Amino acid sequence: MREQPDGAALLAIASEVLRKELLPLLPGDKVYAARMIANAMGIAERQLRQGEGPQQEEQQALAALLKTEGALEALTREFAARIRRGEFDEDVEARRLLWESTVQRVRESAPKALVGRSSGP
Amino acid sequence: MREEQKRALEQFLAGRAGASAVRIDEAHLLSGGAIQENWSLTATVTGGRYDGILECVLRSDAPSGVAVSHGRAQEFALLQVAFRAGVTVPEPLWSGDASVFGREFFVMRRARGTASGHRLMKELNLGGDRELLVERLGEELARLHAIRPPVEGLSFLRVPTLSPALQGVEDFRRFLDGHHTAFPALEWGLRWLERHAPETPERVLTHRDFRTGNYLVDEVGLTAVLDWEFAAWSDPLEDLGWFCARCWRFGQFDKEAGGMGSREALFRGYARVSGRQLTREAVFYWEVHAHVRWAVIALQQGERHVSGQEPSLELALTAHVVPELEMEILNMTGGRHA
Repeated sequence: MREQPDGAALLAIASEVLRKELLPLLPGDKVYAARMIANAMGIAERQLRQGEGPQQEEQQALAALLKTEGALEALTREFAARIRRGEFDEDVEARRLLWESTVQRVRESAPKALVGRSSGP
Repeated sequence: MREEQKRALEQFLAGRAGASAVRIDEAHLLSGGAIQENWSLTATVTGGRYDGILECVLRSDAPSGVAVSHGRAQEFALLQVAFRAGVTVPEPLWSGDASVFGREFFVMRRARGTASGHRLMKELNLGGDRELLVERLGEELARLHAIRPPVEGLSFLRVPTLSPALQGVEDFRRFLDGHHTAFPALEWGLRWLERHAPETPERVLTHRDFRTGNYLVDEVGLTAVLDWEFAAWSDPLEDLGWFCARCWRFGQFDKEAGGMGSREALFRGYARVSGRQLTREAVFYWEVHAHVRWAVIALQQGERHVSGQEPSLELALTAHVVPELEMEILNMTGGRHA
């Protein structure tokens, strides 16, 4: 058993201290670095909270679409190659998968980009 | 700046300025620039046509850089050509080799003002009337685009056989083929760029990083267009698409011209100088191109960190802008699934 709070919760509280207590005290030329740190911690926290579930779902959906088995990395490469060859130009299912896997990555890397768009986080 | 660098530079400046003596009174490193190093210099020049106080910027390569950007001597040549064509750039003064400063460099007059996109979004007094500023930027681009090959001094710029649009597709695909991870949404965007590629009737000199953040403004208006290291012969609309692309609006999405003003004002300024009426449809292709190109550059920058060559939080985070660029590419090209 790991200790509570877990990694994601630690990142969340650490980031709060950084933003609320340290950031206001920093000289102007260090604010950008502090914001970058908060941003990096946020990405790590969201990845931890999401866990491996979305990756597994993506792997299964890709395997079904491409009708082949394999690890996510290899399936992604195959998907990319077939998009380039024009095999999915008119394919609704491929488009759905592409959109959902991209939105999933945006949720982790830049959730603010989803605000005001119909597929909210 | 080390003392011996400073001494060598003073000698160099005196020689080029035709002065009996030059003393560097002040030198400090300017922030920004993952690719090059910029030093602000204030020097006292005695004698010659520059006699008096000379305020300038020395620009040299940073220890590591992006392979696709030009070296300093080439950027200096580009700056000279743009300056002569009447584009508002810092006046290029002299270029020097590694024997003086340890790395290739050039010196230009220091322009006043601020370039930071984030500051421009918050401090609305900067840049003067924003619609007039954007119109002026359109005029600047038109002046640049009046330059056609061949131009003496710019022979280092390649003239590809493919159209600029298809050359882009090929270059981006070649990068992705050599990368350790595949990006299906970028491939989707590239497929769209391939299927919709326009012909370019005539190549012109393009800046290729003409966006908010790369020009200086003061309280009145534009003072200088900066960062010429990516310039190339290309389709003029590439610069307009890069400037208008949603990813370069710094969150001010309704201000389609670089987050600063209306697209109409930009196009108006462009038409006044070039006589060419731009259409939203024609520029749209290059906005998609801009998102794909920025994604590829972001991957390259991120890779400098990921590979372990240059650990940097800023570079590491740059890789994480790729997903939102991909989402926008899908949005723009019918790849969105409602």
